[in-house]
Amino acid sequence: MRKIWLVFKREYLVRVRTKGFIFSTFVVPMMLVAIVVITAYVASHQTVRTQQLAVIDGTGSLSAAIARGLSQQLQGDQPAYRVAREESAANPSEEKKWRDEFRTQVLHGKLDGFLLIPAGYFDGERPIFYARNTGDVALAASIRRALDEAGAAYQLEARGLDYESIRSLLKGAPITLIKVKAEGEEEERGQTIGLAVALMMVLYMTIFVYGIATMQSVQEEKSTRVVELLVSSLRPTHLLWGKLMGVGAVGFTQLAVWLGTGFSVIVYGRAAAELLWPGNKLPHIELPFLLLVFIVAFFIAGYFLYASLYAAIGAMVSSTEESQQVATPLNLLLGFSPVMLGFVLRSPNSSTAVALSMIPFSSPVHMVLRMALQMPPLWQILLSLSIVLLTTGGIVWLSARVYRVGILMYGKRPSLRELARWVRYS
Amino acid sequence: MDAVLIEGVTKRFNSVIAVNDFHLRVSEGALFGLLGPNGAGKTTTLRMVMRMLVPDTGRVLIFGHLLGDRTQDLIGYLPEERGLYPKMKVREVLTFLGALKGLSEAEARRRALHWLERMELAKWSERKIYDLSKGMQQKIQFIAAVLHRPPLLILDEPFSGLDPLNAAMIKDIMLDLRAQGTTIILSTHRMEQVEMMCDSICLIHQGRKVLDGDLKSIKRSYGQNTLRIEHAGDNGFLNFPELVESANHHGAVVDLRLRPGADPQQILRAAVERGIAITRFELIEPPLNDIFIEKVSGSDA
Repeated sequence: MRKIWLVFKREYLVRVRTKGFIFSTFVVPMMLVAIVVITAYVASHQTVRTQQLAVIDGTGSLSAAIARGLSQQLQGDQPAYRVAREESAANPSEEKKWRDEFRTQVLHGKLDGFLLIPAGYFDGERPIFYARNTGDVALAASIRRALDEAGAAYQLEARGLDYESIRSLLKGAPITLIKVKAEGEEEERGQTIGLAVALMMVLYMTIFVYGIATMQSVQEEKSTRVVELLVSSLRPTHLLWGKLMGVGAVGFTQLAVWLGTGFSVIVYGRAAAELLWPGNKLPHIELPFLLLVFIVAFFIAGYFLYASLYAAIGAMVSSTEESQQVATPLNLLLGFSPVMLGFVLRSPNSSTAVALSMIPFSSPVHMVLRMALQMPPLWQILLSLSIVLLTTGGIVWLSARVYRVGILMYGKRPSLRELARWVRYS
Repeated sequence: MDAVLIEGVTKRFNSVIAVNDFHLRVSEGALFGLLGPNGAGKTTTLRMVMRMLVPDTGRVLIFGHLLGDRTQDLIGYLPEERGLYPKMKVREVLTFLGALKGLSEAEARRRALHWLERMELAKWSERKIYDLSKGMQQKIQFIAAVLHRPPLLILDEPFSGLDPLNAAMIKDIMLDLRAQGTTIILSTHRMEQVEMMCDSICLIHQGRKVLDGDLKSIKRSYGQNTLRIEHAGDNGFLNFPELVESANHHGAVVDLRLRPGADPQQILRAAVERGIAITRFELIEPPLNDIFIEKVSGSDA
């Protein structure tokens, strides 16, 4: 239909030309690419430097063990830390003297930090770590561990036990995670979950943002009364279709640019990084093409499902404020999907996860999440897609009936019973 | 052929009957006035003609065709509540609306520029709608209604909110279009406009037709029973309950509806006796305004 095409074209062009769209569609993925590039660059160019530390020991019996514990922490082939000075402080004035000296050294950059173990440490007094950069979480953790171990060793040895032999017994076994897949095995370093969550959030955001955009578009035409001119020219149902498809195509354009960028970064990014900076540790991510096809299919189903409901709300109310209020339950219904993210991540094949990926109001987002985590059987994917497509068909039909009447009605918001009557109008 | 033929149309919303068993015939080439108080059913009727609403019963024909996608392109419409896309450029809006009425986009753009020229808005064509004054927006909407040269033009209160110069411009264009054969339906409350421009009218009240036909013959049927007096000074002399059925004061001018058989000379004599200066003393057909009020308040009772 030519008139549907005209409406489609107007909606699409008006939106695609806005600065907001251009920014979010092109600048955001460019920033993402930049982040990946910078990470890879930094990871391969990081200069390894041993941090210089000092210890003031009020107990007089821990500093050696702490120094040993810290220097065992390796960074590549080099020790991460070196304890340059160990001083014991028998009384408060000595403690103050060393503290002042080390503070000056920290300020002059000769030391990265120093640890003060108070005399009453074994009675529960807290040690203090002085540093210019207190944001180094790894260092704080290392000090904590070295302190614990030094304390434990001292106490055990005081009872005539050999700490080293006990420690080797208690040492936690490091675990490497390998994802088992039909195509082979692959080390898991969080990339599968990262990708799955990213895909799910992109899908959720696109459906949400463009659903709301549809509602605003309907509301704008109604409150400016342009809609009267429009429906004197074409059928309300055709107007709605043109609008849904136009706004949806804008969302699809954005999704395609994002997924396309992500896909290229994933496929070529690692190879490119390897060429530029050999030895970088970018994880291997897989984004099968079949998944992309299903993402598009579920986006279309989910977008039309929600956008047609948003359009019905836009047609039903008389002001933007009112539409936001009435749309709240729908926002919550859609927002329920990301809320349930944690359950599905923990066990993508639990009955909760399967149910979420079958219920049409959450399935577009949750089936994609499950597919990215652990490919479910094909019949489940197809069943889920059929359910959501059928539901969407019904909802679009209902919404169109409401829309058709609503756009010409002003004043009081209709009750549910009136809505039912609108649906039945000839 | 009739431009519009409405046969036995009824439309109800819930329990309210907006239009009740309505019949109407607007002949081709007419400048037709659709009158009625607020909420009488005018807008509902027009919306059914434009297929924005579907009647519960009855049927509507436009130039002999039942309503369909094709009849929508035969109609140009200026709604009473006006508005356009605020963030679009004038030329883009007109091109879009013209194309929706069946013009090619190139043709719609060409005609839009021509009309903007004619309406003295040419330099605004690349500006956005929200930059325009209310009056200018209204002229843009008028252009949107006539852009595709519809054989039937439906105008809902086309002059409201326009200054006299712009109102005259719109009126001239309407008369011009009519001379070229366009049928125009004018829906309004402004009786003096209808009186000056329209050749036939229909008066709707509470969803029903109370009066319709040729304006001249309607007025003639009332006869020259109204006395219009323009005078200076006090109007206390105008007290003739035995001669006058009702009086309608417009400041210096008074319209008196005479009782059947009353002699207007008695009134003139009374005025002269009191030394009142009469500048106008004329027997006329009743103004449409009075007919309107009489019909509407009469059927209320």
